[in-house]
Amino acid sequence: MNSILKKIFIIIIILVFLVAFNTSYSALNLDNLAFVIALGIDVSDTKEIKVTFQFVKAPSTTEGSNQESQIIEDSVDANSIANAINIMNTYFAKRLDLSHCRIIVFSEEIAAHGISNYIYTLMNDVQVRPSANIIVSKCNAEYYIKSCDPSLENSISRYYDLFPDSSKYTGYLTNATIGNFFNSLICNYCEPYTILGGVTSSNSGSSQTANVDDSDVQSGSSPISGTKGVENIGMAVFKHDKLVGELNAIETVCFNILKKDVDSFIISIPDPNNENSNIDVFVTPLSKSKIDVKIVNGSPYIKIDYYFGAKVYSVTENSSYLDENSLSAISNSCNKYLESVLSEYLYKTSQEFKSDVTGLGKYVISDFATNQDFENYNWTDNYINSTFDVTIDTNIDSGVLLTKT
Amino acid sequence: MSTSKLGTFEAILLVLSILAPFTVISLSRTMINETKSSVLINIIYITIICLVIAFLIYKLFKKFPGLDILDISQYVGGNVFKNIIGFIFIFYFIITSSIFLRSFCEGLKVVYFPYTDIVYVILLFIIAIAVTNTLGFNSTIRTTSIIFPFLIVSIILLFVGNLNNFSFYRIFPIQGDGFENTFLLGLTNIGCFAGITYLYFLPPLLKEPKKFKYVSILSVLLSGLFIIMCVATLLFMFSIYISTDEIMPLFSVSRYIEFGSFFQRFESLFLLIWTISFCCYLSISCKFSTQILKKIFNLKDSSQLIYILLILTFAIALLPKNYSIINYFETNIYRYLSLALIFLGIFVLVLSNLKKKAGG
Repeated sequence: MNSILKKIFIIIIILVFLVAFNTSYSALNLDNLAFVIALGIDVSDTKEIKVTFQFVKAPSTTEGSNQESQIIEDSVDANSIANAINIMNTYFAKRLDLSHCRIIVFSEEIAAHGISNYIYTLMNDVQVRPSANIIVSKCNAEYYIKSCDPSLENSISRYYDLFPDSSKYTGYLTNATIGNFFNSLICNYCEPYTILGGVTSSNSGSSQTANVDDSDVQSGSSPISGTKGVENIGMAVFKHDKLVGELNAIETVCFNILKKDVDSFIISIPDPNNENSNIDVFVTPLSKSKIDVKIVNGSPYIKIDYYFGAKVYSVTENSSYLDENSLSAISNSCNKYLESVLSEYLYKTSQEFKSDVTGLGKYVISDFATNQDFENYNWTDNYINSTFDVTIDTNIDSGVLLTKT
Repeated sequence: MSTSKLGTFEAILLVLSILAPFTVISLSRTMINETKSSVLINIIYITIICLVIAFLIYKLFKKFPGLDILDISQYVGGNVFKNIIGFIFIFYFIITSSIFLRSFCEGLKVVYFPYTDIVYVILLFIIAIAVTNTLGFNSTIRTTSIIFPFLIVSIILLFVGNLNNFSFYRIFPIQGDGFENTFLLGLTNIGCFAGITYLYFLPPLLKEPKKFKYVSILSVLLSGLFIIMCVATLLFMFSIYISTDEIMPLFSVSRYIEFGSFFQRFESLFLLIWTISFCCYLSISCKFSTQILKKIFNLKDSSQLIYILLILTFAIALLPKNYSIINYFETNIYRYLSLALIFLGIFVLVLSNLKKKAGG
């Protein structure tokens, strides 16, 4: 009798839990979800914001057919992200799920007004991954998302996964995530930043910027004529949550060098033997590089000693990279060039942007005994008084395969 | 419980299992918010003090081999004093386990069961504990012995997997909010070593009571290392001046772990390990409370008491109206309560030693 009662009790318990947990299971069932892979936020004419969602419709699995995934973009004007999601839930008759959202795009206009509310809201959502990339678009976020058509990938979500990796070998963009942005918002010695996105000039119809160096390009004004539509070159700099400026490709390289986030990059430096031409060098930062920050007479004095290994990439007729004097001359030219661009970058962030986007404040925080001392010093405001002393030591050892022609 | 004797290793794991779930759920965050960037120095300082306390407890217990704090309090002040001490400890065990159960379930609800009533999530744990206790204390101890290494691996993986996201400069300014905050006000963090309160009931449970010294000192030392690992992960990861408060902060850390584009989303695995570990803690806590009640009322069979305590735990877990009450308990009450219990135990032990000395 006891055994029967026990069994009945167990069955009742199982039934109760089945009913209780069924709602969560049903709501999170794949059939009921629509996975957002990109989210765009623009200024709206009628409401607070215009939110664009990008989805991938799974390909049909009919035997013998080879259909591609269909990409769908839809926008809605709403007063908040949550409301926009709610309206779209009704529109699609599915629950929008952000757990596969790879990029979050803000238009320049909305970024200039401040985006902390959106960042806090998104970080409050358990579905949003902290590793989702954050982009400020030179054009509308909606146009950016709709223009995104990866030419070398079958899957757009794979493209979103992979494109930030190019920062490691070009240095032309940075892997900015919403997690890092959120962390920088509440940090008192650094400022947030995002990837700078745009639509290629050939697609947007705008004229390209003429007479700029190859490395001075940035999203929205690059010399690319391609089929992909969007480009991600450069980065957007914030002061707290407001967009204060943009960095072009070479400035982003400088940012990545100082953050130690780039494995190698190619730069064009003046040819020491010919004033009118450039040499391309393949540069690898060395780990012994050092940043030292001191407070001198109340102002930050920032000493940057960086070391690079490099190889000459561009070869012409009658080149000789076996000669010690020639290599030394190229090294000196490379040193001068890097010192110049790094100094320009640093003074631009301190005096023009007034934003320690590189996070140099962390190198001085050890000089303060307590948090109160550091807060009293007010690093973020004092950064504008910084003096930079950049010393670069590059060792160019040879060409890559050809050392003499 | 008296029939299931613990080996030295099992006893150490038992003490660690008490502390681990708290640290994972909220203690790491509380400690960082309290002492800011000097938190690691504070933990080292607190660990040293707790080691002294553990050694003191061993020394004070030395004259009462095989007795626990209840037997000793009976020796000091008779049955009334024993009952008072017993009820204080029961109150502490039940209240803390109930509130932390609610806190853990709130986290689970947010992450995985957003449309399920919290009552059912809590009930799931209550039933799990009821089942484990009917299987005997040995089953809990063995589960703890199996799951704890996984818990350690999960914490190490949290640290190693996030090395790329760490900023080691976050330990500066080295004094945090100042010397006073780190070394004087920071003393309240002794309460984070809640495992010490369970040491008072361990001597009769040990297979080799002579090794109580190793159990007490090693368990405190390992607890310190465990806390350092958890807190360091959180400190290096996020800005210490965080004005926001996250439910289960180490869960948030686990979401950052990615090994390439293929190995991602480890948090579900972590949460599974932490859930089993949390069940072990609840089971141990209930078992200790049962044994105290058994001693207070001189009962021969305590098997049915567990259900009463579980109903009590369930009811208390449902009491907080919202998360702010739980958070208030975790950040403001819990450490002081643990601290009070640690020193109450020492007080009783000192009294008993004085009485013994006076009595010759």
